[in-house]
Amino acid sequence: MEYDTMMMDGESLGPSVKISAADNTHVDFELSNVDLSFANSLRRVIQAEVPTIAIDLVEIEVNTSVLADEFIAHRLGLIPLDSREIDQLNYTRDCDCDQSCGKCTVTLTLHAKCSSEEVMKVYARDLIVGIDRPNNHIGNPVITDPEGQGSLIAKLRKGQELKITCIAKKGIAKEHAKWSPTSAVGFEYDPHNKLHHLDLWYETDAATEWPKSKYAEWEEPPAEGEPFDYDAVPSRFYFEVESVGNIEPDAIIQEGIKELQRKLAGLIHGLGENDDMNGDYDGPRSPDGMDGATPWQDQGYTTPYAGAGNASAWGGAATAYGTTPYGNSGTAGW
Amino acid sequence: MPAATKARASGAEDADMEDVTPPSAQQPVDSQEDGDPMQEDEEDDDLGEEEESEEPQRVRILPGSTSTAASFEFLKEGHTLGNALRYIIMKNPDVEFCAYAIPHPSEEKMNLRIQTYDTTTATAALEKGLQDLEDLCDVVSEEFWTQRNDFMAGKH
Repeated sequence: MEYDTMMMDGESLGPSVKISAADNTHVDFELSNVDLSFANSLRRVIQAEVPTIAIDLVEIEVNTSVLADEFIAHRLGLIPLDSREIDQLNYTRDCDCDQSCGKCTVTLTLHAKCSSEEVMKVYARDLIVGIDRPNNHIGNPVITDPEGQGSLIAKLRKGQELKITCIAKKGIAKEHAKWSPTSAVGFEYDPHNKLHHLDLWYETDAATEWPKSKYAEWEEPPAEGEPFDYDAVPSRFYFEVESVGNIEPDAIIQEGIKELQRKLAGLIHGLGENDDMNGDYDGPRSPDGMDGATPWQDQGYTTPYAGAGNASAWGGAATAYGTTPYGNSGTAGW
Repeated sequence: MPAATKARASGAEDADMEDVTPPSAQQPVDSQEDGDPMQEDEEDDDLGEEEESEEPQRVRILPGSTSTAASFEFLKEGHTLGNALRYIIMKNPDVEFCAYAIPHPSEEKMNLRIQTYDTTTATAALEKGLQDLEDLCDVVSEEFWTQRNDFMAGKH
């Protein structure tokens, strides 16, 4: 019964990670001695299920710009907001409050009016972040450019005005890509295509026509005339995670794994708690033979109890029912 | 004895039915009961409960399952969990077969089939799989963090 998951298949080392590059927007690493399915789960979860905060509701009081309200609302949604320590923020749907509160939302306001002859540019830095929030960095627009302006929201000409209130909420990219913590995740394995997971198109020779991956030199190229190993499975995965700026790239990985565990824990919890519920659920929909039998039995079971006259009509049966132990008569019947 | 047979043959008559049927009800339940941790208690309020409770039940056993061969239906899960879970359950030497499917791309459902040897049950294998995957996550998470710290230390 007991076995070590990682000691099987000759994997003597267990999962290992090798980081090859990291800065505040990227992390490149090699994950090895895990299965393709796990590596892919990790990729999927960091791309689609790591929670971040983004503007979700926009209330437009004044918009005399040339841009339509919904156009601006969309642009606002895409502005990356600082999502570090997102755990301190609730999902609005889970929050105790009625609509929104400081525990589940961050409010940002924008008020800009152009009064000069020159075109005025409204940037993310012009968003004013409300004070009612779990900590003093969550929900801040991410500003990484040297001028410290952040994303451009709109341009205004003389006399045009924007007066907007935004409500930023916690969410995941599965719902809308604006909540994605990553702008791209590189995922690669088997640079020499030894496993033939790819069928490369070519004019005359695939090897010369297709550029080699930079990871090609990390792995042994196939030997001349080497036979295809149909038992081989991929075990080294090259990740290149690029952050949008709202969470540090290494934290994205951590959060991704945490999210995966949260998923599992939820299921384990549900399974433990709902053991009986599962059975119940199964009951009414159990195999075909039983489905038919149940109502039929019930009727037979209840009628004789209620109507003694009915039972007496059957004479022998009724007597047997009355005198013989219940189980016994049953077995005899069968 | 003949009376009973006759009654069964004659069909819908109530009095005798009653005599014959209870054991038939018992038998299938019995056979399901052995070794099945998710056994059924007759409570139909389950459905009602589900409506009340905030989070509907995420996993259920599909009809036609026995203790060592069961199909589970997961709601709101996809390839992210399905494939990794399938792999880790398959690693369990007590498991004969495990596979997952997403029956339709526009339904948020994931089906998982587990068939085990007599040494364990499908439900136990599922629980073990979930636990193992969580442990694997721990290992990878820890490994990543130590490597990150080493890398950062080397950089500065």
